[in-house]
Amino acid sequence: MSAAIDNHWYPVAMISGIDAPRETLLLGKKIKLGREDGICWVKDASGTPLPTVERFGHLWTSPGQPNRDLFTIPEADSPGRRLVDVGSVKVKCSPLRAVENFLDIAHFPFVHTDILGAEPHTEVDRYDVKIREEVDEVWATKVKFFQPQAAKSAAGGITTEYMYRVPAPTCSVLYKTCPPRPGEWDIITLFVQPLTDEWCEVWPWMALYDDDSTMSEMVSFQQLIFMQDRSILENQLPRKLPLDPGMEVPTQADMTSVAYRRWLKKIGYTYGAQLVAA
Amino acid sequence: MNWIAVGLAKDVPPGVVIPSRIEDTEMAIWCTPSGRYHAWSDRCPHRGMRLSHGFVRGETLACIYHGWQYNQTGSCDYIPAHPKLTPPDTICVPTYTCVEEGGVIWVSLNSVDDPLPVLGARVPVRSVPVSLSAKDVAAHFGAAGFTTIAVVSDYDTLLAVQPCTDTMCVLHVLAAPDADRKEVSRWVEDLRTTLEGVPA
Ligand code: FES
Ligand SMILES: [Fe+2]
Repeated sequence: MSAAIDNHWYPVAMISGIDAPRETLLLGKKIKLGREDGICWVKDASGTPLPTVERFGHLWTSPGQPNRDLFTIPEADSPGRRLVDVGSVKVKCSPLRAVENFLDIAHFPFVHTDILGAEPHTEVDRYDVKIREEVDEVWATKVKFFQPQAAKSAAGGITTEYMYRVPAPTCSVLYKTCPPRPGEWDIITLFVQPLTDEWCEVWPWMALYDDDSTMSEMVSFQQLIFMQDRSILENQLPRKLPLDPGMEVPTQADMTSVAYRRWLKKIGYTYGAQLVAA
Repeated sequence: MNWIAVGLAKDVPPGVVIPSRIEDTEMAIWCTPSGRYHAWSDRCPHRGMRLSHGFVRGETLACIYHGWQYNQTGSCDYIPAHPKLTPPDTICVPTYTCVEEGGVIWVSLNSVDDPLPVLGARVPVRSVPVSLSAKDVAAHFGAAGFTTIAVVSDYDTLLAVQPCTDTMCVLHVLAAPDADRKEVSRWVEDLRTTLEGVPA
C-alpha cells in the first residue's frame, strides 16, 4: 500500500467498548487491539505495536507514519455539550462511498423521509465549497435545507444550516444548526474504518446541545438514520467510488461530492476508489 | 440471444418495479400505471443506485436515492434538487427491448426483431428459481436452445428459461389453460428437485 494511504489516522474502536483484546481489519490487514491499565494498544499481524491516539471517544491508529497529528474539533470541547458514542454499523461499500453519502443533502426527502427531509421541499440552493489548501481539508459552507425533524431536540420543521468538513479521507464532520441554541452548532461526525476497499465500519460520534433527550434516544435517532443510509450504500454500483468524471452525473447540488473526489485524487487517496471508467 | 422471459406479468403489476437479470446484465423491470412494461439497466446514472429499489410515479420511474425521474424512453425528466432545471438529454438510463405477451415479460438484449416464442393456448402458472445453469437445464431435456422448452407432461407445460448465473436460472412455467394450477405447481417442484439432483 502507498504512503498516501497508510500515513493517515483511522478509527478502529469506540474506547468505551473495548474490553477483551480483539481482532479487526484495517485496509484489508488484520490488526489486534485492546486495553491494559487504562491505556489502549494496537498491534499489526506480526505483533508490532502501531501508533495510537485516543480522541473523540474513539481509538485511532495508523499502519504508516502519519505526518501530522489527528485532526481536532475545538468546538466540541465547549461546555454544555453531550458527547454521544453512537456505536458502529458495518456496511458493504467502499469507505469513500460512506463519506460521500454523509456529505449529501439532496437524498434527505427520499431516504430520510419526514425526518431530515420531505417532499415538496427538495430544492438544494447553491452553497460554497472549497478545498482549503492551508489545512488540506474540504469544506462546504452555507448549506441550507428544510427539515421536518432536524434532530431529536427539534419540535417541528425548520430550515437547517449546515457546514461540512472533510479533515481526513475517511472522516467527515458536520456542523449543524442547533434547535435549542440558535447561534451554536451541533456536531455530528462520521468516522469510517476501512475494513477492506469494499467493506467498512462506520463510527458516528456526536457532540450535541440537548438537555432533554436521553442518551439512548439520541443514539436510536442516529442509528435509524444510518440504517436508512445503509440500504442505499449497499446498493450502489460500482461499490467503489469512481474518481474519474464520466461514470456518474453530478449536478450543482453535488458540489461537495465533486470537491471530495477531486481532493482524493489530488492527494492520491485511491483505496476504495475506481480510477478508470468501466 | 433472442427473447428471454424475465418474469410473469402478474408478478409485476402496474406501479411495481423488481430486479432481474440475464447473465451479467442486471435490470430493473417495471410496469407503468397504464400497463406498459420496461426493462432498464439497474443503475441510476446520477450516482449508481439500483433503480430496482426505486418507485413508479406517474408514467416515470424514480430513483430512491435522490428522486431523479426517468420517462418511458429512459431520459431524465426531473431532478428534485433543481426543480426549475430541464435536465439535458444526455442523462438517460440504458434501456432494453421489452414486451409483455401471453402474460410473460420478454426482453431482447440485442434488439433483434425475431418473432416471440409461440406459447399456443398456454397460460402462465408461476416462476421457479433453480440452482442450475440454463444450459444444464436445456441439456437435461436434450433441447438445442434454452429460451423455451416444451415438456411432455399431462399439463402441456412449457418452460421459458431465464439464464441468470453459471449456477442459477429461473423457470417461468406455462401450462394448458384447463390444467390444475396446484398440480402443475407440484410437478414443477418435483422437476426442480430432479434438476438440482437433490434426493426427494
Ligand atoms: S443516484 Fe439515482 S437519483 Fe441520485
Ligand atoms: Fe443519509
